[in-house]
Amino acid sequence: MTVTVPFVAIGKQYEEFREEILQVFDAISKTGHHVLGPHLQRFEEAFAAYCGTRFAVGVGNGSDALTYSLLAHGIGAGDEVITAPNSFVASAWTIANVDATLVFADVGDDYNLDPEKVEAAITPKTRAIMPVHLTGQIADMAAMEDVARRHNLILIEDSAQAVGATQNGQKAGSFGHTGCFSLHPLKNLHVHGDGGVLTTNNEEVANKVRQLRNHGLINRDECEFWGYNSRLDEIQAAIASIKLNHLDRLNNRHRQIAKRYGDALSGVVRVPVVRDHNQPVFHRYIIRHESRDELARQLVERGVETKVNYPIPLHRQQAAAGLDYKEGAFPVAEQQAREILSLPMHPYMTEDEIDHVITSIKDIATTL
Amino acid sequence: MTLSEKNFLIQQYRDTSRLSINHNYLYDQFADSEAIFDEIRELVVRGDFTLGEAVRDFEAQFAEVSGAKHAIGVGSGTDALFLSLKAKGIQDGDEVITSPYTFYATIGAIVTAGAKPVFADIGADYNIDPAEIEKVITPKTKAIVPIHWSGLICDMPAIGAIAEKYNLAIVEDACHAIGALRHGHSAGAFADTACYSMHPLKNLNVWGDGGVIVTNDDELARKLSLMRNHGLVNRDTCEMFAYNSRLDTLQAIVAKHLLKKIDHITDSRICNAAFFDRELMDVDGITVPPRAADAKQVFHIYVLRSERRDELVKHLIDHDIDAKIHYPTPMHMQPAAAAFQYKKGDFPIAEATCDSVFSLPVHEFITDDQRQHVVATIREFFAA
Repeated sequence: MTVTVPFVAIGKQYEEFREEILQVFDAISKTGHHVLGPHLQRFEEAFAAYCGTRFAVGVGNGSDALTYSLLAHGIGAGDEVITAPNSFVASAWTIANVDATLVFADVGDDYNLDPEKVEAAITPKTRAIMPVHLTGQIADMAAMEDVARRHNLILIEDSAQAVGATQNGQKAGSFGHTGCFSLHPLKNLHVHGDGGVLTTNNEEVANKVRQLRNHGLINRDECEFWGYNSRLDEIQAAIASIKLNHLDRLNNRHRQIAKRYGDALSGVVRVPVVRDHNQPVFHRYIIRHESRDELARQLVERGVETKVNYPIPLHRQQAAAGLDYKEGAFPVAEQQAREILSLPMHPYMTEDEIDHVITSIKDIATTL
Repeated sequence: MTLSEKNFLIQQYRDTSRLSINHNYLYDQFADSEAIFDEIRELVVRGDFTLGEAVRDFEAQFAEVSGAKHAIGVGSGTDALFLSLKAKGIQDGDEVITSPYTFYATIGAIVTAGAKPVFADIGADYNIDPAEIEKVITPKTKAIVPIHWSGLICDMPAIGAIAEKYNLAIVEDACHAIGALRHGHSAGAFADTACYSMHPLKNLNVWGDGGVIVTNDDELARKLSLMRNHGLVNRDTCEMFAYNSRLDTLQAIVAKHLLKKIDHITDSRICNAAFFDRELMDVDGITVPPRAADAKQVFHIYVLRSERRDELVKHLIDHDIDAKIHYPTPMHMQPAAAAFQYKKGDFPIAEATCDSVFSLPVHEFITDDQRQHVVATIREFFAA
């Protein structure tokens, strides 16, 4: 019998929420009120309450949440922003997008920015730090806050992978000046297209972002500053609200699967390091192995779909050529890029599927 | 003011929903959405939510409808303009010439691309005047953004000649002009790109924000396809740090379905506009703008002028007619434009236009009785 274990299963989640979601389509499409309406307002209030922040502002995608965080704090040309080189490209391009200078610092065993490396990268031009809570584990925010406070820097959390993750019981997105979330279909909390949301405790920042996302308008006829167009559609906001009610349960399932993987694979491959006081949400479950490519190849033969998040560090991308970083600039991130492998992870995995992934890795690893 | 009040569109819908002859017709348009729902049901099971099959299908169909070689679906009309300007290399220190009589997004896209907007006055047809464009060209000018206001394509052969003479890019703001023709050509024929919005209020609309860019330039099309998706050539390789602005697959499904009706939507608007033109042409106190004989104007909005505009709009609303003003303040007089140091009187035609314009509903669900009621109400106002 051929077993196939897909990497994600977005369709299965739809089956769970099908009736509620179809009602949303029907109800909103009948009113014709698709942009900036009551469903967005309700989602923003619920999401802020969930994250423990005063405000949440829905936007078109996670990238724009990052861009607006930078703009709302006046970060632009001549400023430097420090972020991780092992993230998705959006963390980097949003910094370039506001004309700030992109500065990378190496990461630690947990794939997150190393606070000491961050501090070493600070110059008089540094204005902000953008830690990325990669794989769904919150970066060391006590240390980040300490660095930010001492150097008077803005702290922007790229929480795209970490919705619901906690550190000392505090949620991702509530530590920094802003928290930036993606609601892309592959995320733990996702909508049916692109979507994003920004959290903050600062009313001025919240208001600024509300204007930035909507042409800089104060009302229909008055424009205070030239802005952008990046709004979370009513339909998507309503879908996000439905799923937010179930997020803790879905995240717990991620954690259960991660525990099954960790218990069985520890010693076989390198399993994720979870730092003290952290409750990750395992958006990605990433193992490491020296023969990563061969492991991945043989897993495919056994019907197990894996991915590499991400094989080329950002400083080695063609887009980063102008920054003049060389191979070897960030040895930890570079080494990890050669060894990391993301295993199938979604709340609808069956016990048989989990067993099949574990058995396959154990079998293959003995031959490598 | 509470934050929720800052979402002013909510109030706008509440304010007008009590009127019976309304600008908002989406309830009627999507009263029967079963075919769309069927396709969405299939989509959500596949999980193909971003840059999915329906996006590719829609792009191919839209390119054909608009007579262009390529169409690229993006997040909004604003982003269509912004991405086009960035793809043409617009950056800090550049100047971009456009009309002061437009929606904020035109200027927002120019400014967020890094450039300074330079305004040129409009003509009696509400569109930028080519003769005025040439007067404001400087060595820093890099592009022209003509706006096809109310669905009338600008004099593109004239603007194209200026662009060629001074080596400028042309990015057309065609957000009002889906299906429009001039001199037998769609928007984009004389430009690097033409940019369309599919906002719920547009002639071709989706269930949220959406936009599309058309171009005949292969290289530009490739660049725009990368730029809307983080600059990614494939999943793991980033050619340029760019942006995230994609037309959702779900919205592409809605757009595909509505595209089948676009001829009917356009023809209804043209027919309603022709009726109003005919019935109101001779009303003393109303100015119908000149209609270009060589144009298929698609009337995203139907805009007339009256010196007694404010009283008239109030009178129409009191009579159950959702008259609107697009828009009362020209861009150079907005608070956001303070840094550009324009003053009142700089663009006399645009200013006089903003002081006197009002819009009547002309969408495809307006009935003959409603049209008659609008005409009678206006005639009554000026007879009194």
